[in-house]
Amino acid sequence: MTTSDTYSTEYDVIIVGGGVTGAGTARDCAMRGLKVLLVERNDYSTGATGRNHGLMHSGARYAVTDGESAAECIAENRVMRVIAHHCIEQTDGLFITLPDDDLEYQQTFIQACQRAGIDAQAIDPAEALQLDPAVNPDIIGAVRVPDAAIDPFRLTVANLLDAQLHGAVTLNYHEVEGIIMQQNRVTGVKLFNKLDGTHVEVHGHVIVSAAGIWGHRLAQMAGVDIPMFPARGALLIFGPRINRMVINRCRKPSNGDILVPDGTVSVLGTTSDRIPLEAIDNMRVTREEVDTLLAEGKKIAPQLARTRIIRAYAGVRPLVASDDDPSGRSISRGIVCMDHAQRDGVEGLVTITGGKMITYRLMAQAATDAVCAKLGNTAPCTTADTPLPGSDTPADKQDNDTTRYSFAQRAAIGRHGSLAAKCDSQDDIDNALVCECEGVTVGEIKYALKDLHVFNLVNLRRRTRLGMGNCQGKLCSCRAASLLALYHHDVKRAQVDLANFLDERWKGMRPVAWGDTLREAQFTASIYQGLCGLDTAINQQQGQQEDKA
Amino acid sequence: MSNNSTIIIGGGLSGLTCGLALAKRGHSVTILSGGPSTLLFSGGSMELLGAIDGQPVGRPLDAIPSLPDCHPYRKIGTERIADLAGQARELLNDTGITMTGDAATNHWRITPMGITKPAWLTLNENFKIDDLNNLPVRNIALMAVRGFFDQPNGMLAQGLRDLGFEVKVIEFTTEEISSLRRSPTEMRATTLAKRLLSQNALQRIADQVNALAGDAELVLLPSVFGQKNDDSVQTLQSLCHKPLRLIATLPPAVAGMRMQAQLLHYFMMLGGDYRTGESATGGIIENGMLTGVTTLKSGTTPLVADNYVLATGAFVSRGLAADERHIYETVFDLDVDADEDRDHWTRFDVLEPQDYWSYGVATDESLRCFKQGSRVENLRAIGSVLSGHNAIKMGDGTGVSMLSALAVAQDILAGK
Repeated sequence: MTTSDTYSTEYDVIIVGGGVTGAGTARDCAMRGLKVLLVERNDYSTGATGRNHGLMHSGARYAVTDGESAAECIAENRVMRVIAHHCIEQTDGLFITLPDDDLEYQQTFIQACQRAGIDAQAIDPAEALQLDPAVNPDIIGAVRVPDAAIDPFRLTVANLLDAQLHGAVTLNYHEVEGIIMQQNRVTGVKLFNKLDGTHVEVHGHVIVSAAGIWGHRLAQMAGVDIPMFPARGALLIFGPRINRMVINRCRKPSNGDILVPDGTVSVLGTTSDRIPLEAIDNMRVTREEVDTLLAEGKKIAPQLARTRIIRAYAGVRPLVASDDDPSGRSISRGIVCMDHAQRDGVEGLVTITGGKMITYRLMAQAATDAVCAKLGNTAPCTTADTPLPGSDTPADKQDNDTTRYSFAQRAAIGRHGSLAAKCDSQDDIDNALVCECEGVTVGEIKYALKDLHVFNLVNLRRRTRLGMGNCQGKLCSCRAASLLALYHHDVKRAQVDLANFLDERWKGMRPVAWGDTLREAQFTASIYQGLCGLDTAINQQQGQQEDKA
Repeated sequence: MSNNSTIIIGGGLSGLTCGLALAKRGHSVTILSGGPSTLLFSGGSMELLGAIDGQPVGRPLDAIPSLPDCHPYRKIGTERIADLAGQARELLNDTGITMTGDAATNHWRITPMGITKPAWLTLNENFKIDDLNNLPVRNIALMAVRGFFDQPNGMLAQGLRDLGFEVKVIEFTTEEISSLRRSPTEMRATTLAKRLLSQNALQRIADQVNALAGDAELVLLPSVFGQKNDDSVQTLQSLCHKPLRLIATLPPAVAGMRMQAQLLHYFMMLGGDYRTGESATGGIIENGMLTGVTTLKSGTTPLVADNYVLATGAFVSRGLAADERHIYETVFDLDVDADEDRDHWTRFDVLEPQDYWSYGVATDESLRCFKQGSRVENLRAIGSVLSGHNAIKMGDGTGVSMLSALAVAQDILAGK
């Protein structure tokens, strides 16, 4: 929420981008005593943060091709298990060798893992099948690694909450329209507030661009060129969940060779295609991407052929070519932190990009170090040792007697950790379930509206998982829209919001609209359009707006 | 060739309507029901034709001739539709489903979100409006059940105010309601209807209505009364001092569940054979004739009749299905009217008319089906499994279900 001095304050640092890297940077800067503003043009975690695999890499996938990234991954993997355990499901992972694959690669792989400090153990294929019966029974080799599943939405929110607890101001739906410069120094940003349509200027000593693939546009506003190489990856969500562990294929990284369990579903990915910069906002998943993933996915877990595909989505990796290799032939997935004073003669601007979701904290540390160096701040980084809100009780000391809790309370604790206590549960109505698939109560929605920057149903989905389960929001979206209408005292807005939410769900379903997914789509349309007439209401609203115009 | 028996595959609105029309005339009918039908979404209205190209239709019978030739109404024949619509209404009345409305002129039903949509027939107990320029009352008390989320009261109240009503939203609860809310998941319209059957439970609701409705001319309540018949509604009205009308809720809907029960009850009274859990699995087609239907229960021994009627519904009811490559009919793999390219099944925006909604089995003018291009003489299709209509955008779903069912029953009885 904005207050009267939100915009007039002169900040030490303005962070642009509300993905996990920006959120982590805001947290680190705030913990080192800086006056922090974070701005995000859409909702938090809408870019690559919300469009990846939800895989907490052990680093094994990069061990052979990129030892440096692998070592970063395993180090951060260990840190996350302590500071963010409420965002993690400790599944472990398997790297399986199929009859078509070269079994000799397994040895190369294990040795590379050991060099990077990753505990990779070859196990008997029969044992692998016992550990996870979803694995293709024809495997000829298996290696166990400390991969895990991590919820990037939850991780981002936890970082934002902690940044706020340390005094940071964070604003979603604030888009940077321009950079304010005095000679060769960046001194602030021009913002467009999408919620109320106003334009404002905010000043700060250092600007950090944590805008992912969109960072090149921000840099351009300051007259700086960053050689970005957008690499698009598509993924498929299957439900209900079929695998216990992360299943990887033990070969050189390729299409559709990782299956990650994620709560109630399984996520198969990814593809990797270089796309032009103009195409980074087009997230439509193509038929070719779907077919490629399906063909490869069935090889690692044959049961996928008989499991419903709930939706498809795509994200863009913010890869950067190193300055001495502008062709981009040897693009690393490592961390890139640029001080544009040294590189381009533009003072007060730092870009943090590249990296992996799992190395966001290291990226935040690098960016914060660069900011602190400019400001003469010598406070040390403490983010690796300080648990995030929700993980403040160590995992092994947590109350594990979940029998005392309801399904919804367990789900809320899973999502918010120790903050779940903030969900109202005073009466039967607070405890009533709005989303039955994911166990979201009225109390949890009230908490999200109050504390988690929720303006619409899509925000609510990202904070609580409402509508993300098997039914994809069939009934809960109307119930939640109804609650939002009461909260905002605005029925028309709630109807538009509901239509947008259904559209956002449909965008992911359409590329895989056959089988039960097509059936669910017709079911949802029958309820919201046929029975309720939501389409009529939206058309009428649009008609009225055109009349006014 | 004998012509005394019919097997209907599918026990929803179209299957039951066809079965009733046949059984009434002494014909031997077996209905195979594979599972719940889409009647359970129904808020208590039937639609003949609600909209063409997004524009509401005021006079459906007049608009039918402008529909494309592939529409089931056009196959049945425009001149027959008015007659069949009259029969449909009579048949509903016979079962105890008391509806008002007129096939010549649509009225407006009020949706659970407070939006008005054109309708042909609506349950007497539901709130409906004949003329939006001439409202029947001014002051409305909208009685909202506390903790019941399947009626979005804010939207409903706003929708009614936009029409020109003065609306007071009054939240209330009773012992029965609040005890149900103690469960986090059980507060649905149909479970409420089960709890609100006894005279005492209804009296407590009436007490609240009588105490709280103030100067309202009309009291609106959610449709949560009477699962098997409208006795509870009648009792409640007799206990309330003001006129009551009900508003449809989100599914599972009480009105739909009740209509299903009443249609079924009447079908059994007429001696019809209704088999639940008998999902049809297939049948052999030889020399243009279906020789029998196999079901999950019958195993390999087929059930045999003179005529067969396919009433299995669309994708929602699994009468139609799709895999990565094709749209297909699920029981006999009959010929379908559907695009072969999966990219053409759907549109990018969720509110656009989706092409697959109009897909269905291919039929001739007599609604007989085809397999690999050859007509199957003793197999006809009715209801949502038919191609060429669009229940969601055109508001023709329940009309097509009932009228195609009656047309086919008429043809079977006439030995056509």
